Formats: sequence, structure tokens, C-alpha cells
Amino acid sequence: MSVESEAEDRPWQVRASVIVVAIVVVAALLGFVVLPVVQGRSAGVDAFSAICRALGLQAGSPAVRQPVSATRAEPVSLVAWTEEVIARLHNPNEENGSDLAANICASCHGADGVSPDPAFPHMAGQSAFAIYKQLHDFKNGARGNEIMASVVEQLDDEQMADIAAHFAYFTKGALDPTTPVTNDPAIVRLVERGITARGLPACASCHGAHAGGPIETPTLAGQRHEYLAAQLRAFAKGERRNDIYHRMRDIATKLTDSEIEELAAYYAGIGLYQRIK
Amino acid sequence: MTSVARLTKAHLWIAFAAFLVACVFGIWQMWARSPLATPYVIAEHYFLSVTAHGVAMAFVLTTFFIMGFGYFTAETALDRPLPGKPWAWAGFFLAVAGTLMAVAAILSGQASVLYTFYPPLTGSPFFYLGLVLVVVGSWIWCILMIVAMREWKGAHPGAPVPLAMFATVANAIMWLWTTVGVAAELLFIVIPASLGWVDTVDVGLTRTLFSWTLHAIVYFWLFPAYIAFYTMAPQAAGGRLYSDMMGRLTFVLFLVYSLPVGLHHLFMDPEHSTGFKFVQMSLTVLVAVPTLLTVFTISASLEIAGRLRGGRGLLGWIPALPWDRPMVLATGLSFVMLFFGGGGGLVNMSYGLNALIHNTSWVTAHFHLIFGGTVVIMYFAICYAIWPRLTGHEAGTQDAQRLQLWLWFVGMMIMSLPWHWLGLHGQWRRVAQFDYTNPIIAAWGPWVTTSLVGGILLFASAVVFVWNLAALRADRKAPVAPFAFATAVHQPARVPASLNGFGLWNVLVLVLMIAAYGWPIAQFFVLQPPHAVVHRVDRGG
Repeated sequence: MSVESEAEDRPWQVRASVIVVAIVVVAALLGFVVLPVVQGRSAGVDAFSAICRALGLQAGSPAVRQPVSATRAEPVSLVAWTEEVIARLHNPNEENGSDLAANICASCHGADGVSPDPAFPHMAGQSAFAIYKQLHDFKNGARGNEIMASVVEQLDDEQMADIAAHFAYFTKGALDPTTPVTNDPAIVRLVERGITARGLPACASCHGAHAGGPIETPTLAGQRHEYLAAQLRAFAKGERRNDIYHRMRDIATKLTDSEIEELAAYYAGIGLYQRIK
Repeated sequence: MTSVARLTKAHLWIAFAAFLVACVFGIWQMWARSPLATPYVIAEHYFLSVTAHGVAMAFVLTTFFIMGFGYFTAETALDRPLPGKPWAWAGFFLAVAGTLMAVAAILSGQASVLYTFYPPLTGSPFFYLGLVLVVVGSWIWCILMIVAMREWKGAHPGAPVPLAMFATVANAIMWLWTTVGVAAELLFIVIPASLGWVDTVDVGLTRTLFSWTLHAIVYFWLFPAYIAFYTMAPQAAGGRLYSDMMGRLTFVLFLVYSLPVGLHHLFMDPEHSTGFKFVQMSLTVLVAVPTLLTVFTISASLEIAGRLRGGRGLLGWIPALPWDRPMVLATGLSFVMLFFGGGGGLVNMSYGLNALIHNTSWVTAHFHLIFGGTVVIMYFAICYAIWPRLTGHEAGTQDAQRLQLWLWFVGMMIMSLPWHWLGLHGQWRRVAQFDYTNPIIAAWGPWVTTSLVGGILLFASAVVFVWNLAALRADRKAPVAPFAFATAVHQPARVPASLNGFGLWNVLVLVLMIAAYGWPIAQFFVLQPPHAVVHRVDRGG
């Protein structure tokens, strides 16, 4: 037994190459020309557009009609986490942030972000992303609050980013939801595991270390009891609507009054104050 | 004993240690998804477990087994010492170090991103760097396989490379091509994100690069099983291989058609156009060809053996086969699982049908049946075949080996067939718990519980397997015959040069990859789509 010479092998090389290339050409003709044109025709897409769509040069599928409505979807929040916004939050103008915070925010939220009044939330402990999202939403009307709307009216995006970064003492990873301060095992279970049968995910699945929530998810640990309870009720009644995909509205409507109170107590009791530097 | 015995055994023990641990995680995951009360079950633990199970089974078990078996094959099939043995040990220790880094990151909860990564989820850099080390260790193996074949060809000018080694090198070359995608994803996108150097990633690009790797990696795992089909099963059955050429064709077809097909994992993704998905689906169909060639050739080989043993009539050769021999038994059971798993795979790769089963337990069932069933049962059989040569001990009785193979087969069928059914009923994969108070989901309960029983049988089989390997040491020490791979009935008088090397096939792979992945990857740089915010699982969301 031996191996053929290169010259003897030539037919193998030619045949294999022709077969492989021919299969690609046939598949490409079907995928880029025949199917798009045929499917596009029945979907009211012209042949040229159908082929461009099949190639990925135009948006859309050749087998789907063009949308007939020009109505634009209304997002619940206009915040977009672009690289520019993220970069500004990471590299703020600290002096600007500090001045603005002292002049505008400190009277209600405290100079160090620790609110002196139970009605107002602490800023300390929140990430810059969480604070920026809410400031932006107040400004654009996505979240309604008369006091805050008038406060942020004068601020531009960069100023809001500077303020947010100023108060961002901790990332939300500082939250430790595994330290229960309630004796009610049902609440601990709700926080840590959720209640599948009621469609309630674990609070900790978003609001916790290693959590899966979006980047703007606020820290709950150490927040004001009154504020947390008020927000959950506002979500439940639909008075607050700046939660993307209805996440919090869906959850809050399923909670009982006593669960709202106990959850607020649970999170308010987690020791934030020891964590403030 | 061969001179690479220690090297091979070291690789195989790491592989099967990871395998045993991964089985425990697997059972717990099924338990968590069942209606039965399960300890420790919160979502965070579940995804840690899924990550550990996937990494151990898909990266550690496979890579170490393939490397170890490859070193054994290189020395045995070529009948000459392995070149660069110190390099082989270096690759081994590199891969072990990488495995330990990845395991530490996973078990500390810093890398629950699943073994398929899913950016913008981002875990600890140790996880990714560890896996890179495993891949680098396997690259050393690839180079050593290529060098071993080249040196042999130099010493045997004009002679055909033995089929087992030809296949091993085909796998090594395929693996070098395969890992380009995931290496680019990790080195240029995911690791910079995990180190905090970038805040956003292009998810479409990362998914596309991973798809480059995702299908071919499955064939990387599959190769040893096919090597056993062609070069071990006919011998074990007492016959010969029906056709050597068929084997060579099969292995080059795997090399050519396992790569430009990964977009069939992204049929439901929006970042690619219908045309490229259709082209890659068409190429995916061709991956079925080498499998059909193999089923035909191996059935023919076994028929020869059965008839030599006195089998008569149309199917009389089947009962005449020596089913008591582990390699023959495993081949038969593997083919049964290939029938069901391959059928499920045809549904997955069909552009239209895929939408029905996308992201359901059907997909999980498919890859467990094909990989965990068809392939891994052959890993067992290979170990039973080569272990006596590695240790110098012959098993006194093969009862425990047969029991273990049957347990694995029965367990895999009981586990994965209900998953197919559940997938058709819409059960999601990658979900920790279900609301069994919902009447629709409650109907899934008995099937999920049944699959858990299959899982328990699989775990029992895994324990018996490791026990069988460990116990062999206590069995009688016997002079073990030199290992020989099967030869063909009619060894071809002449072999085309194209079927004795990989130059032609590498060129064709390049052409196909440019056609199939050129624009799908280039579009991300031309069109500049929006990026997603990096989501860190190791520093809080």
C-alpha cells in the first residue's frame, strides 16, 4: 500500500474543491436570491430589497411585510447607557459634583447623602448609575415628583452625572442581603428565594451581591423604611412608572400591605451606617 | 505498558475526577427543577452549579480525555515514541493549573456565567484566564500530534498514515481552527471586560465568535468515539474494518463541515441575516454525511464479524456478535443513542423547526444524548480497552464493566427522552425552578421526576466506572498483549495523497469560513451596532 503522487492526486483535489464550492454556490443562490425573492413577493417586499435584507445589508426579513404604522413606541425611561454616559459617571467633575450637591441636594438628602428626614431617601450607598437614572427620569417626566422635577429642571446631563458620582459612596455590590434583621422566615424567604407560585422573584436576584439586575438597580440595604414602603405602594398603584419592562410594578402589585411593610423594615434594618466611610 | 502510560493515565484521571464531580452537580440541578423539595436551592446556587457542571463536562472531561487518548494513539498507532514528551507534560500542567483557576472562580461564586459565557455577563478574570490556559495546553497537544505524524511520514515515505492517527491529527487540526473563535472572543472582548478595561461589549460579535467554536467543539469531543468505531470496535467484534477509505473520508468531512455551520446556534438571534443563516444551515446538513457513512461502514464491519462467527440470514449476524465484550456492547448502545440524538439534532438544525424547540429542554436533551450518551459511553469503552495496556493489569471479569455500560445507557435514555418531551411542551432550559402550582407546569412534574431517576442511574454508573478503573489495580497482573488497532478487510492498494494529509482540506476550510463567516463578522466593524453594558457577576450586578 502506498500514497499516490501529487500529480496522481490532482483529480481528487479538483473534484473535492469543485464539490465543496458548488454546494456553497447552490446554498447561496437559494439563501440570498431564490428564497428572498419568492418570500419577499408574497410579503410585499421588492426583489432588490429582499436580496439586500437576506444579505444583511438592509434591516428586516425578506419574509415579513414593512410595518404600516408610523407610531413610535414610548419608552418608560429615556436613559441610554452609552459609552459616553458611563465614562462621565466613572470620570466626573468632582468639584462640580460636590458644589452642586452642597447647594441643591444637601438640605433634603444630607451633605454626606444620609438623609435627616424619613420622607427623603438616602443617597449614600447608591451607585452613580442608580442616582443618574432617577435624576434623568425626574427631568424627563418619566418619574413624577414635583419637588425633584423643579430641582433637576436646571441641570444638564453632565451635571446630573457629576452629582450622581458624588453621592456614589458604594457600589450596590456592598449590599449584603443575607444578613436578615427580621425574624419572619417568610420575608427572608421572599428576599432570598422569592415565591415561585405567586410569580414573585427573589428581591436578591436583582438587589444583591452577584445579582442579575440591570446596572441602574438601586441598593435597598439601609434605605429609609418610609421611602421604601412608599415606593412599593406607588409601583403597586401605578403611580410610579419608570421601571423598565414593568419589573417593579409587576412585583409590587402582588405584594400584600404587610409584606410591603416587612420588606421595607427588613432592608431598612441592614446596617448601612457602619459602611459609610 | 507503553512509555506514555503515565502521561495518558494522568490526563484520564483528571478527566474522570471532573466527570464524577460534575455528575453530582447535574443530579442536584435536576432535583432543583423537579417538584420535589430540594436543599440549597436558590437561583445563585443553581447557576453556579450549571457553570461548574458545564465547565467540568464540556471543557475538562473532554479536553483531558482527548489529549490523553491522543498521546496513547500517537505512540501505539505509529509504533514509535511520542516526540516532545516534556512538552506534553508542560501542556498537562498548564491545563491543570488553568482548571484549578477556573474551578476556584466558579466555586467562590465569581463566575456564574455558564460555560458558554453569555456576555455581557462577566465573571472573574481568573475564570477566563484559567480556561485560556486549558486551551493553550490543548494547543501543545495539537502541535505534538502534528509533529508525530510528520516525523512518522518522514520515516515512512509514501506510506499511508494509520487511520487512528490520521483521525487524531484531523481532530487536532480541527481544534486549532475551532478555538480561533472563542480565543478571539475571550482575549479581545471578554477578558478586557472582566478586567474592567472596557464598560461595554458588542454582544452580537461575541455570540458570533462563540458560534464559530460552538459546533466544531462538539466534533472535537466526538472524534475519539468515531476513532473507536473505526479502529477498535471491528477488532473487538472479531472482524475487520469494512473500508479504510470510508474512515478517511469521514474524518476529513468532519474537519471541513463542522466549522462553517455555527450560525445554526443563532437562528433566533437578530444580528444575522436570513441568507447567511440559510447558507450555514445548508452546510450543517452535510455534517450528517460523515455520520451516515460511519453508521454504514461500522454496521458493515460488524456484519462481517457476525458472519465470521456463524451468523446467517438477513439479520442473523446481529445476535452472533460478541455482545459480552465491552467495546462491542458500547458501540451498539452508542448507535441506539445516536439514532435518537441525531434525529433530535436534525430538528435543531432546521431553520424553521428550530423555532419550536429553541431554548427548551429539547436542546438540553439533544446534547446530553449525543455527547453524554453516544460519545461518553465510547470514552468508557476506550478506557476499558486501553486501561490494561496502561496498567499491566487485566480485569478478572468484565461483569462490572457491562453493568456500568448498561446503567449508563438506560440512565441516559430515561433522563433525556422525557426532556425531549418536556421541550416540546415548552419547558425552558437554564431555569432554576418552576411553579408547579400552575396546572400546565404541574403536568410536567412526573416527567421531570422520571428524568431525575435517569440521572440517579447515570450517577451510579459513573461511580461504578471510576471504581472499575481503580479496582483494576487490584486485579491480577498479567502479560498484556500489545495494543493493535483494527485493519481493513481490503487495505486499499493506494491512498490518494489528499487522504493522507490535510493541506487540501485546510484550504477548503479557509474558503468555507470566509464564505460563511466573512460578512457575518465584518458587519460588526462596518455597521458599528450599539454595545451592551458589561454586567459583572463577581462584583454585584
